[in-house]
Amino acid sequence: MNNSPPPIISPKSSPFAHNNQSVRALMFKVQLAVLPALLVHLYLFGFGIVVQWLLALTTLLIVEYTMLKLRNRPVRPFLTDMSALITITALVFCVPPGAPWWIIVTGTAFALIFGKHLYGGLGYNPFNPAMLGYAFLLISFPVQMTQWNLPAEVANFYITFSDAFSLIFTGKIEGISLDMITSATPLGKLQTDLTQGVGVIESLAHPLTQTVEAPPNINADSPFHVIHQLVDLNSWEWINVAFLIGGLWLLYTRSIRWQYPVGFLSSLALIAFIFHTYDPDTYPPVSFILLSGGTMLAAFFIITDPVTSCTTPKGRLIFAAGIGVLVYVIRTWGIFPDGIAFAILLMNIAVPLIDQYTQPRVYGHPR
Amino acid sequence: MLTAIVIFVGLALVFGLLLGYAAVRFKVEGNPMAEQIDKILPQTQCGQCNYPGCKPYAEALAKGEADVNLCIPGGNEVMLSIAEITGLEPKALDESVAAEHTPKETAFIDEDVCIGCVLCIKACPVDAIIGATKLMHTVIQSECTGCDKCAPVCPVDCIEMRAPETTLETWQWPEPTSEPKPLASQYLDVNSTTEQRQ
Amino acid sequence: MMTRSPFSRTIIQGIAAVYPMAKRWLHRFHGGIYPKHHKSRSLQHPIKETFIAETLTLPIKTTRGQKIEWLVQVGDTVQKNQCLVQAAKENKKGFFVPLHAPTSGTIKAITEAEFPHPSGLTTQAIIIAPDFKQTTLQNALKVSGKQPDSPQKLKDILLHAGIVGLGGAGFPTYAKIPAQKDRIHTLIINGAECEPFITCDDVLMQTQAEPILQGAEIVAQALGVKQIVCGIESNKPQAIQAMQTAANQIKSVPITVKTVEAVYPMGGEKQLVLELTGIEMPVKTHAIDSGLLVFNVATFAAIFKAVTQGEPLTQRLVTVAGFELQTPYNTYALLGTPFIDLVNAGQPKNPIQYPLIMGGPMMGFQVAHNEVPVIKTTNCILANPPEPSTFTMPCIRCGECMDACPVNLLPQQLYWHSQAHEFDKVEKLNVFDCIECGCCSYVCPSHIPLVQYYRHAKSEIKTLHAEQQAAELAKQRYEFRLARIEREKQEREARLKAKKEAVKKHSPTAEPGKSAPKKPSVAAAAARAAAAKRAAAKANKNTEHSGTDEQKSPPLSARQKAIETAQKQAAAKVGSKVATAKDPRDSAKKSAKKAAVIAAAKRRTQAQKTTDTITTEEKKVTPQPPSNIATAPPLEDAKAKRQKAMEAAKKRAAERKARQSKQEKTE
Repeated sequence: MNNSPPPIISPKSSPFAHNNQSVRALMFKVQLAVLPALLVHLYLFGFGIVVQWLLALTTLLIVEYTMLKLRNRPVRPFLTDMSALITITALVFCVPPGAPWWIIVTGTAFALIFGKHLYGGLGYNPFNPAMLGYAFLLISFPVQMTQWNLPAEVANFYITFSDAFSLIFTGKIEGISLDMITSATPLGKLQTDLTQGVGVIESLAHPLTQTVEAPPNINADSPFHVIHQLVDLNSWEWINVAFLIGGLWLLYTRSIRWQYPVGFLSSLALIAFIFHTYDPDTYPPVSFILLSGGTMLAAFFIITDPVTSCTTPKGRLIFAAGIGVLVYVIRTWGIFPDGIAFAILLMNIAVPLIDQYTQPRVYGHPR
Repeated sequence: MLTAIVIFVGLALVFGLLLGYAAVRFKVEGNPMAEQIDKILPQTQCGQCNYPGCKPYAEALAKGEADVNLCIPGGNEVMLSIAEITGLEPKALDESVAAEHTPKETAFIDEDVCIGCVLCIKACPVDAIIGATKLMHTVIQSECTGCDKCAPVCPVDCIEMRAPETTLETWQWPEPTSEPKPLASQYLDVNSTTEQRQ
Repeated sequence: MMTRSPFSRTIIQGIAAVYPMAKRWLHRFHGGIYPKHHKSRSLQHPIKETFIAETLTLPIKTTRGQKIEWLVQVGDTVQKNQCLVQAAKENKKGFFVPLHAPTSGTIKAITEAEFPHPSGLTTQAIIIAPDFKQTTLQNALKVSGKQPDSPQKLKDILLHAGIVGLGGAGFPTYAKIPAQKDRIHTLIINGAECEPFITCDDVLMQTQAEPILQGAEIVAQALGVKQIVCGIESNKPQAIQAMQTAANQIKSVPITVKTVEAVYPMGGEKQLVLELTGIEMPVKTHAIDSGLLVFNVATFAAIFKAVTQGEPLTQRLVTVAGFELQTPYNTYALLGTPFIDLVNAGQPKNPIQYPLIMGGPMMGFQVAHNEVPVIKTTNCILANPPEPSTFTMPCIRCGECMDACPVNLLPQQLYWHSQAHEFDKVEKLNVFDCIECGCCSYVCPSHIPLVQYYRHAKSEIKTLHAEQQAAELAKQRYEFRLARIEREKQEREARLKAKKEAVKKHSPTAEPGKSAPKKPSVAAAAARAAAAKRAAAKANKNTEHSGTDEQKSPPLSARQKAIETAQKQAAAKVGSKVATAKDPRDSAKKSAKKAAVIAAAKRRTQAQKTTDTITTEEKKVTPQPPSNIATAPPLEDAKAKRQKAMEAAKKRAAERKARQSKQEKTE
């Protein structure tokens, strides 16, 4: 039958059109959406995060290049896909801005090597690499990982780039006692207070330090400051709001799926509401739970990592709701102040099971 | 102390009886392992395992008398599933044979050359050749397993193994390769006419 | 999902202005995509005059075992609409619709030619050299012009007109129509041409609205259909208007023209049915099982022409478009016109150096060579240069494909398992519900050729099932053979024993006793040595191993089939030798073979003399005497030739042995 020679090239199947979306563009959008939170962070906690981010970026480039070479993969497409950038961005936001340099370097290297490349690279990792790196750091270096520098307005001291540099590399800033600018996070403080018998209401009524004055190097008339005075939010809550804004933009551009933030935030809010109503003095209010720690960062930027989460629509909701419940449980009864990393890792394990049982009904199949 | 002993002895008795009853009640006839192996064997009945057919090989495997890597048409996949059923260690196929593992072929008799000697009919393990003495033979294509047992016995060498023809019906989409999409310049042949190609 | 009320539609459209994907809430099926239409350019130009190419190639696609009847020979002069080839009367396999001459001319050749298919494989084809006179056979189908009043009459006309589904699938239309009246309650006219670039259905609706709807009316009246629903996408306002006007004139059956959302793949049968009627066709059933019948607009126009004017399907409206064409257009292309000629008429900006696409960009395919002819299912020829190469990234499980899938599959999981060759899991994830629309690949940010993975997986699964069946059959036959050998042995022993006993002057009718119902076998024992097969068939009943009827039937039917194919092969062989002696073997071998053919013919005549010893089945195997060669050759000559053939064969056998021993030595 076949007299003519077969065509030189094996045939390519339809479709011959594409919406020109790409992994890189998707990751870039996520990266863009972090900007508001980054600016707020910069304003509140000083330049620490920039130094940390540059450190992480350098580590990333070295680690990715070496790993891709070792795994015999093309370097250019994978180094420029920006997926690793999102991993380190998430990690940088979790690490205290004043933490020593080796913290972020080991964290980044661990996250990328053990969290991603050893599983086969992008798309094959079962665990969220950023959270794996964070959990590794939190378990290994608990002291460095729980000491945050105070917001500039509270500490009355704004950390400039050179300050941040010397703090991260030498561990001190000239002419300043470190105790004055570092403390536990609100979540950490609340946990300590509760163990000492101080009630939630009282604990939240007393902010980290008593002196609330405008920091010297910030213009008191700046619009931000005005808003700040109008809306009574503490610094951590501001960061969460910034993440929320970025996240909503991601939802609008369809870069992330709505099931993640909705499932996570609603389950977290619901469980917080139930316990707060039951005993307001032991369990913090919903607004505190939603706007403290890394809640919004997790809701829009970490649990939305598609590689390590469920693929079915129902599964995504279950996955996100499961994280919400676990976060509350670990925050309230666990020994760590914030349980997001562990909650995510635990739910990552459950992904195949959830996917198995939440398959949607295919057209024409019995309901 | 005594109560404990009594309880455990009692439990042992109960479970022993239960197991004994189950062994009688649910007794399985025949050798299920041989059946299981027979099911996954390709049933070409080619005898390349040095057993007369697939079933004898399966039975030998079940008795533990044969190696797991003897089934050549089955290839690596069948070897692995045999190892799984029998619990034996997987063993690589003989390399020279494994390399030759080709897609299924079937026997064709050149009917003009066939002298009607019935040797191939006798050799066929699945009775897929029809014909009679001094009459030409033909192969029932749908029943030929491609075991290649008939070709060597033919005195006039009129049997050949042929890969099935690819037609519009049987053509399959190839698996996508990771190679990048071809560029326009690679398609120079598209404008040649049938005459030119022939 | 319910149909949206106008109010909620407005709200959704408002949301869609800021959030485009809200448009997905407007239609009933899941997912869907909104590719750029690219339709306006080919709509600007009026329908181009039909162009007659220098040669027309009409490929004939048959399925295995299909028998066809040639009505013309090489050198014949044909008129337009003359029937060239039709299904043979004894053909029982599959559906084959006849093919008619698209124009007048002479049959230049009947040969192998490439079929428009991604594989570039060839089929038999009729090559016509047109005389450019267009001498037409009027009322080629000899219809009375009256509307058929029963489904069977309609089916007959459609079969003889060679009409197939013109939307793309190409399934013979007559075979889709049920033979009983009143099985269909709703007739659906598919005017949802959702693929980008294609405008032929749009143009057809604008210009031929009345024939389309009258065609639908004919079908509706023949089948007793209660209502006709026509679905047209909202991006074809002129077509909607034309169809609405035409619909108002038809009184016999209620016709509704519905505007549907312009979303891909709205034109898919399952999707359109759900959108128009709210019926979700259950899995593994056809539209007819739900009381529905769906045809493309072009099919209805063809039905109208066939029934009223007796005109067979010899041309179709084709869109010739693409980024590379300066003047994309629509034309009534004659079947058999080479693609490249049509494309060149559209003034390509650069010479075409890449494969053309038949069909739209979403579901079409690249042809292997650009000279392939237009066939009945060619709705569009697309000259789009291949996209620049993009690196395929790993799947990041983003779920875009799942949101786009119109049948609600899990494309990324299907891909995951297809890639790992876990085809059983792929099948469990309902890969066979995939309509290969290409939505998933279209939205994939990693640029994974998902559809090709599914196509590959589907064919692999089919092969696997076929292999399993074959293995099961082989097993049965092997066991049966063992049983037969065992039984023959016993019979031989029994015979021996009986003889001995006869010698000892015992009763000769004494039974061996081992198996009771063997009387007929013993009686036939003498004949059985020569007729092993018949014995085998009988033994089937007697032996314990394959005693049941169920086990008996499959090998027998398979045998029947094989015998038929063997007959056909033999006939074909003789035929091919007469027609073309293109056998590449060396001349000595050829002459030996020829001699052998004659010898075989002689053997056959001998065989006929000894029919009593040959079973009926074997008679069937004997091929029909080759008409051209074996017309009574002299007996001595044949004998000599046979001897020569034997010698040649022996020589070859010796050669083979020598070769083998040589090989062994070298090893």
